[in-house]
Amino acid sequence: MRTLRVGFAVAITASILFGACSSAATTAPSAAAPASAAAPASAAPAPASAAPASAPAASQAAVASPGASAAASCVAANPNFKVGLVTDVGGLNDKSFNHLAYLGLQQAQCQLGATVDVIQSSEQSQYVPNLTTFAQKGDNLVIAVGFLMANAVYTVAKQYPNVHFAAIDTAPADAKGNTVNLPNVANLFFHEQESGYTVGYLAGLMEKDKVGAATSNTISYMGGLAIPPVDRYIAGYIAGAKAADPGITILGGYSQSFTDQTIGKSIGLNHISRGSTILFQVAGASGLGYLQAAVDKGVYGIGVDADQNYVAPATIITSAIKKVDVAVFLTIQGLMNGQFKGGDNEFTLQNNATGFAPPNSVVPADIVAQVQQIADQIKSGAIVPPTTIPK
Amino acid sequence: MTVATLPIERPAGRLRQLVASGIGPILAVVLAIIVGGVVVLVSGSNPITAYQQMLVGAVGSPFDISETFISSIPLILAAYAVSFAFRCGLFNIGAEGQLYMGAIASTWLATTFPNWPGIVLIIVCIVAAMVAGGAWAGIAGWLKAKTGAHEVITTMMLSYVAIDISHWLLEAGPMTPSNAYGTPESGPIPPQAAFPIILPSWILPNARLNASLFLTILAGVVFAWILWRTPLGYEIRAVGFNPKAAAYGGINVARRLVIAMVIAGAFAGLAGMVPVWVQMRLYDSFSPGYGYEAIAVALVGRNSAIGIFLAGLLYGAMIHGAVAMQANANISGFLVQILQALVLFFVGAEMLIRWLLRRGGLRALVEAPA
Repeated sequence: MRTLRVGFAVAITASILFGACSSAATTAPSAAAPASAAAPASAAPAPASAAPASAPAASQAAVASPGASAAASCVAANPNFKVGLVTDVGGLNDKSFNHLAYLGLQQAQCQLGATVDVIQSSEQSQYVPNLTTFAQKGDNLVIAVGFLMANAVYTVAKQYPNVHFAAIDTAPADAKGNTVNLPNVANLFFHEQESGYTVGYLAGLMEKDKVGAATSNTISYMGGLAIPPVDRYIAGYIAGAKAADPGITILGGYSQSFTDQTIGKSIGLNHISRGSTILFQVAGASGLGYLQAAVDKGVYGIGVDADQNYVAPATIITSAIKKVDVAVFLTIQGLMNGQFKGGDNEFTLQNNATGFAPPNSVVPADIVAQVQQIADQIKSGAIVPPTTIPK
Repeated sequence: MTVATLPIERPAGRLRQLVASGIGPILAVVLAIIVGGVVVLVSGSNPITAYQQMLVGAVGSPFDISETFISSIPLILAAYAVSFAFRCGLFNIGAEGQLYMGAIASTWLATTFPNWPGIVLIIVCIVAAMVAGGAWAGIAGWLKAKTGAHEVITTMMLSYVAIDISHWLLEAGPMTPSNAYGTPESGPIPPQAAFPIILPSWILPNARLNASLFLTILAGVVFAWILWRTPLGYEIRAVGFNPKAAAYGGINVARRLVIAMVIAGAFAGLAGMVPVWVQMRLYDSFSPGYGYEAIAVALVGRNSAIGIFLAGLLYGAMIHGAVAMQANANISGFLVQILQALVLFFVGAEMLIRWLLRRGGLRALVEAPA
């Protein structure tokens, strides 16, 4: 009995220690990730610099400066301008919003001299105290990451009307769940459908021209959950693909998870067996399993949120971009310049927060040029991608 | 041995027993803090600053004390669930699933009957959470009693089922309100059914610490009372100590196994309801793994009501203290997970502690019954 008890304790200890170690181990790749993410980011805005010189474009130039030179050109710290970031339970290493928001924060620290701090939430009931901690410290801006913080932001922003808040992908919601815009909360929303449309158009052209492995005239997508940000990507993807190739077949499904890679992979293998040759994931880490199926079967994949080409350089032909880092940076900069705007703040192709990552060498230059034209048309308003998936 | 000496000897023995059972975990915490400090030092920060911030962050103000309790309560209740089953010789590692069922049942009732009077609704919800958690755990207990299916497997697997049921209900499912804007969540808990806030607003405006703290203390009393003051508790402990001897002594082992699991599950169900009543809404994946962390809390608390309460407070203090440590000292919150793992490691490494105590000439402590 005693040995069993001790053995059990040790087994649990080992598993918890292992858990701690493995989460510590994941820190290493994420430290490398900004470098790989920074490289394409610096290349991407090349077409954007041709855009009319407007205020967002000017700030965009600052955002786009390559990581290496940015590190060298950090401005002097401004200890009086404090920004706090509260992650959701996904933590900083989620390679998605939390991570990207942190990149934007670091950029603000370097290029604007802001004093920045981060709290990683370890449980959902901590959102209110964590936001409160920064508000109490007298931070100028408190950033809440993720749609589960809608009510927490509302609660804390009401209590601290003199502190500014930014809510990524959500808006403050009262106890009944109704959205209430507050003058001291900026709701940062993205036009994901624009990113989806451009990569969908690219996928459609690939199938139409039968480039490489894309010969089946069938593409697919996998979402995590059927929530609006995910569905906006997918709606754009479907519309873009059909615009490029009206006869295309599009398969789709949801993994019901943003973490489970095994399910992602099995859905990927299923889509490939049904003929898909380009797989688009909108499911966070679960989607990495989906892309892995494409790697294993020698077809193509499309990443999401960040440029995910580094996952499998030969397979990931492009990524649908959602630059949370740009939104965070612009919001901090706006507040510094006295241009904070409460309520909805939309981030679009206009301010280079959405779009597609530079395609890899599999994609012919003429297709890239055509997709770029489509992106320009979205930017000018000539094309308005849909936000909901056709039933 | 005469009757007269007994009253004198007993308190001394008890005190020594208490110290002996507490010394291991306390030493484990001290060792964990030292080793954790080395980890902080190696990673290039100042361990003194880290611990100072953690301590101030955990108990430095009424706000922090309130939040430390909020982080502790689900862990304490879930640890009672682990521990109660353990007293019957059962490894209830599925408290996570039981607390999900408790959260689902109580939230469903509260959101379905939002117009009931508050006092009725909250009592009904508490009962529902306990019944749902108990029933869920009871399945595993019944399977164990009837078929011998090992409870480690069944409670674990039932956890997955419960968690996935909650995903189905909340992710654009039957419990998601139409105005949720895609957020996987339930409707709001009616405000009249909230636990009363126990910190007056002149101490802390907008405090969140509510009467669930009293419920938790009550749960600890019930836990100890059932185990040590009732025939049922005696039989449960007898089964846990040696099921064959218990059966020989005329105890219906199968029935005791099921009852122990049901009572354990009721504690877990309560553990699931409390965090929902802090958020006033059931969010998808609301538990960061309370049911699993509770196993550690139960071990550190040595399966006693007071020990678990203190261990839970320690874990809650570390969780909330990490907030200030991150915000003010810029040290990763992962340090807390490392510390928690180290505490558990040193509690598990009982032999090491015993050896250290023996080296330190504290043989008397070591030899006292734990």
